[in-house]
Amino acid sequence: MIVREIVLPAPREEVWEALTDPDRLEDWFANTVEVDLRPGGGARFGWGNGEERHATFTEVEPGRRLAFDWDDDGEVEFTLDDAAGGTRLTVIESSPSWSTALDLQALALQPSALQRV
Amino acid sequence: MSDPLNLVFGALADPSRRQVIGYLSECGTATATELTGELPMTRQAVSKHLATLADAGLVESERRGRETRYRLTAAGADWDVRLDALKQHLLRRRG
Repeated sequence: MIVREIVLPAPREEVWEALTDPDRLEDWFANTVEVDLRPGGGARFGWGNGEERHATFTEVEPGRRLAFDWDDDGEVEFTLDDAAGGTRLTVIESSPSWSTALDLQALALQPSALQRV
Repeated sequence: MSDPLNLVFGALADPSRRQVIGYLSECGTATATELTGELPMTRQAVSKHLATLADAGLVESERRGRETRYRLTAAGADWDVRLDALKQHLLRRRG
């Protein structure tokens, strides 16, 4: 699990816009962005190197909380709080498939298993 | 070898494992197959080295579709870069 926290120099409403408005996302997150901002709605992010990722929103609470599942792997949660100097943004990314060392060791002990992955 | 630092030093002591780290550091991520193709090692050796490196917390794996990709543990490095970009974006807007 990855946890990151940052205080951003803008009010929550503006941080929310930067996180959800396609035009603004195209300025910092990806090259092309499409967003259907509602629980169950989808998002598509494209990068200059041809990489493309799709996501599905699971929580949309304007100005407070945004959560989505990557369609390929993992979940991301953003939480916005008021803070001195702006907005505290907390990001949590988790994935059930990020293998532990034990998983890797099991793979190493069974070379045939690696052939399948 | 239960001391985490011993695990790290032990993992780094081996020249083959340093090659694995060097390759991952250059290419970002790789599958065990790609590593086997790039480095003078058998697939079994590559997977053993990956396990040792993972035990030491130096390497982690991620499923992407049907393949498992390995990368150096820079847990959250992607987000460090993204959040910095977000901050710069907000500063630009504020002029």
